[in-house]
Amino acid sequence: MRSNTVGWLMLAPTIAILGIFGIIPFIYVLYVAFHQWNPFGASPDMIYNGANNFRRLVFDAEFLTSIAFTMKFAFFAVLSEIALGYLLAQLFMKEFPGRGFFRTIHTLPLIVAPIVVGSVWRLMTTPSIGIIPYLLRNWFGYDLNIGRDATTAFTLTVIMDIWHWTPLVTLTLLAALLALPKEPFEQAQIDGANRRQIFWHVTLPMIRPAILATVFIRLMDALRTVDEVWMLTSGGPGAATRYVGLHIWKIVFPKTDYGYGAAISVIVLYLTLVMCWLLYVALVARRERKRTF
Amino acid sequence: MIRKSGIGIAALAIGVLTSVIPARADFWSDAGAKYKGVVLHGVTESTPPSNYIKDVLAPEFEKKTGIKVQIETTSWDQMYDKAIKDMEAKTSIYDMVYIEQDIIYAYLGRSFLTDISKSLKDDPSLKAPEFDETHFTTFANYFKNADGDLFGIPMEAFIKVYLYRTDLFNDPKIQEAFKKETGKDLAPAKTHEEYTQIAEFFTKYGKDNGMELWGTTAQAHTGHPASWYEFFESIAPTFGVYNWGIDANNNYAASVENGGQMNSDKAKAAIKYWLHLRDIAPPESAASTWTEVGTTFAAGRVAQGLVYGENAAWIASDAEKSKVVGNVGVALPPTEPDVLKEVEGGKGYLGYYDGGAFGLPVTSKNKEAALLFLQFIGQDSVQPDWAIAAPRITNTATYDDPKVLDMDKKLNGYYTMLKDQGKLFAGAPPFPFHAQVREATAPIFYKILLGEVGPDEGLDQMAAAAEAELKNLGYRK
Repeated sequence: MRSNTVGWLMLAPTIAILGIFGIIPFIYVLYVAFHQWNPFGASPDMIYNGANNFRRLVFDAEFLTSIAFTMKFAFFAVLSEIALGYLLAQLFMKEFPGRGFFRTIHTLPLIVAPIVVGSVWRLMTTPSIGIIPYLLRNWFGYDLNIGRDATTAFTLTVIMDIWHWTPLVTLTLLAALLALPKEPFEQAQIDGANRRQIFWHVTLPMIRPAILATVFIRLMDALRTVDEVWMLTSGGPGAATRYVGLHIWKIVFPKTDYGYGAAISVIVLYLTLVMCWLLYVALVARRERKRTF
Repeated sequence: MIRKSGIGIAALAIGVLTSVIPARADFWSDAGAKYKGVVLHGVTESTPPSNYIKDVLAPEFEKKTGIKVQIETTSWDQMYDKAIKDMEAKTSIYDMVYIEQDIIYAYLGRSFLTDISKSLKDDPSLKAPEFDETHFTTFANYFKNADGDLFGIPMEAFIKVYLYRTDLFNDPKIQEAFKKETGKDLAPAKTHEEYTQIAEFFTKYGKDNGMELWGTTAQAHTGHPASWYEFFESIAPTFGVYNWGIDANNNYAASVENGGQMNSDKAKAAIKYWLHLRDIAPPESAASTWTEVGTTFAAGRVAQGLVYGENAAWIASDAEKSKVVGNVGVALPPTEPDVLKEVEGGKGYLGYYDGGAFGLPVTSKNKEAALLFLQFIGQDSVQPDWAIAAPRITNTATYDDPKVLDMDKKLNGYYTMLKDQGKLFAGAPPFPFHAQVREATAPIFYKILLGEVGPDEGLDQMAAAAEAELKNLGYRK
């Protein structure tokens, strides 16, 4: 009984912070989502409109497009980051001259603010002054112009995200790899397993929780990306990089359609939870069930 | 002896008196004494005039009054975002907010702003002797209510002008080549036809001579509102389409069908003209916002273009940033032949008169101290240096200052144009729904820029979208 009280007391600040900054605002957003509210409209009052905002977004082509683009962005970005992050983690496990230096350099993008990352990439990709268009033109005769080509703009946002966040994956997986016991690997080698078999049957199952945690973190981040993309493309050309975070921002701030923006936010939160749950079921729960049987 | 002691007593008396009676200070230190230690917070867009407030005027004010001023300069979007959130949620973070000329109507509609004229009348002890509302240019009218009360201290005002490269236009070799190609003398364009011809000539000239030179700028970002504004504020009016083609007196009609102009033949001609210019402009134009057109011009990459006046000074005079110093000519934007007459006759406008003011949110907890600062930046004496650092004029006393006259020469008459022909330009229409209508129509506009929708069809869709949004907002019945 005593330990329970101490435990609750220890948890109390966290619960209070979560309540004030997480749960109460969420309840408010949910409340707003069921209202028509545009403070800059002819009537600035909040008017209850049932589930109209949710009905509206089912037929909103701009919203559906932004969701589709966001999924595509998250898929390519997260998958690439996990693969590249794992390879880099393996590389940093090995001894080579200047390993410490390269590890440090590699983590530098992590400390740069997203808005700065977006600005730097914008400078690097601007046709008149950017180093990337310059090199592409000189080496391959290719004219890069993200203001005119949707595919290029989309690809660049993915590359920018990979550049910025792969170090996080590397660091997480490096920590997981370093913490692995040596015995299972030695045992597998004695049993004659090759490198591929060791990877699939020993390494991967053991670092699965770390991979999963990283995927969840990166997926949630990718689904709500705003500032970097805003700086690089402003959501353009057209709507090619108007990811859902940017879409919500445009609905809520310039358009001041608070009710509808709140409804979209709730749905995006729901979709994120569903996606994480599906991933969890696919990668963890099913495997746990197999083990039980 | 008695006389000597009399003088001594008198000197002593004077000494005692001067030590007891406080020294007579100027208005600022007297008025500021009450608020010493107060920290005022302001938010504004990072523009040359705002940076001058942050770097020069705020420290000067602090020195004189003891009131500290912290000015946050940020991006255009963030500036709105932060100010609106603060005033909406009544968090009272900001004591001064930048009010762009177009957002004022929305802010007044929400009663976000303090009536500056009334506040100063109500408490004359706060009124600075040097501050006089009547000294502001007519641009201040945008920040007044129906009673003529001021709700913002004008701090930047400039027109979007036609800049051209005098070194290129005056080059005899180029003049000869132009004459040979077009049969005309090379001179700043007065009509769209002339402008197009010059733009085409220079783009070709640059290509033929292996130069990084194009015929025109184009603020044509395919995902940023800057391109939308370039079309509706700077291009459409020169074709006779005013107020974005929305008729506020006719139930906010936007479509031709309902009496609006957004998809009129004039608007359709305007967009085709502009799209053609965009296609012969430098490649960065598809990602250019208001800042980049200035940068493109300053980099010597174009022969002519429409550029916001706030950038004109550094383009023409700052050799560290600009490659075209001393080679910048200023002219009125080209128009359709009958539009200039129409505008001179008092109907419409031929370009954008942009600018903003510093307003005092009703939510501020330091209104009195903020009122002092707002008067400080509005008084005559601070205007000339400010106008030199950033080419903005909001106070009529600025025009005749010798430093400003000297700068006017360097800018080939930009200030004179502002003074004499500023009346031909206009700010954004008095709509409280700027951002909402822009955001409702901009996605279609970007599709036009990308060629996903034709210009005629696109403008039809935009007019319909504008009316739908206005209906949704409760303006259109």
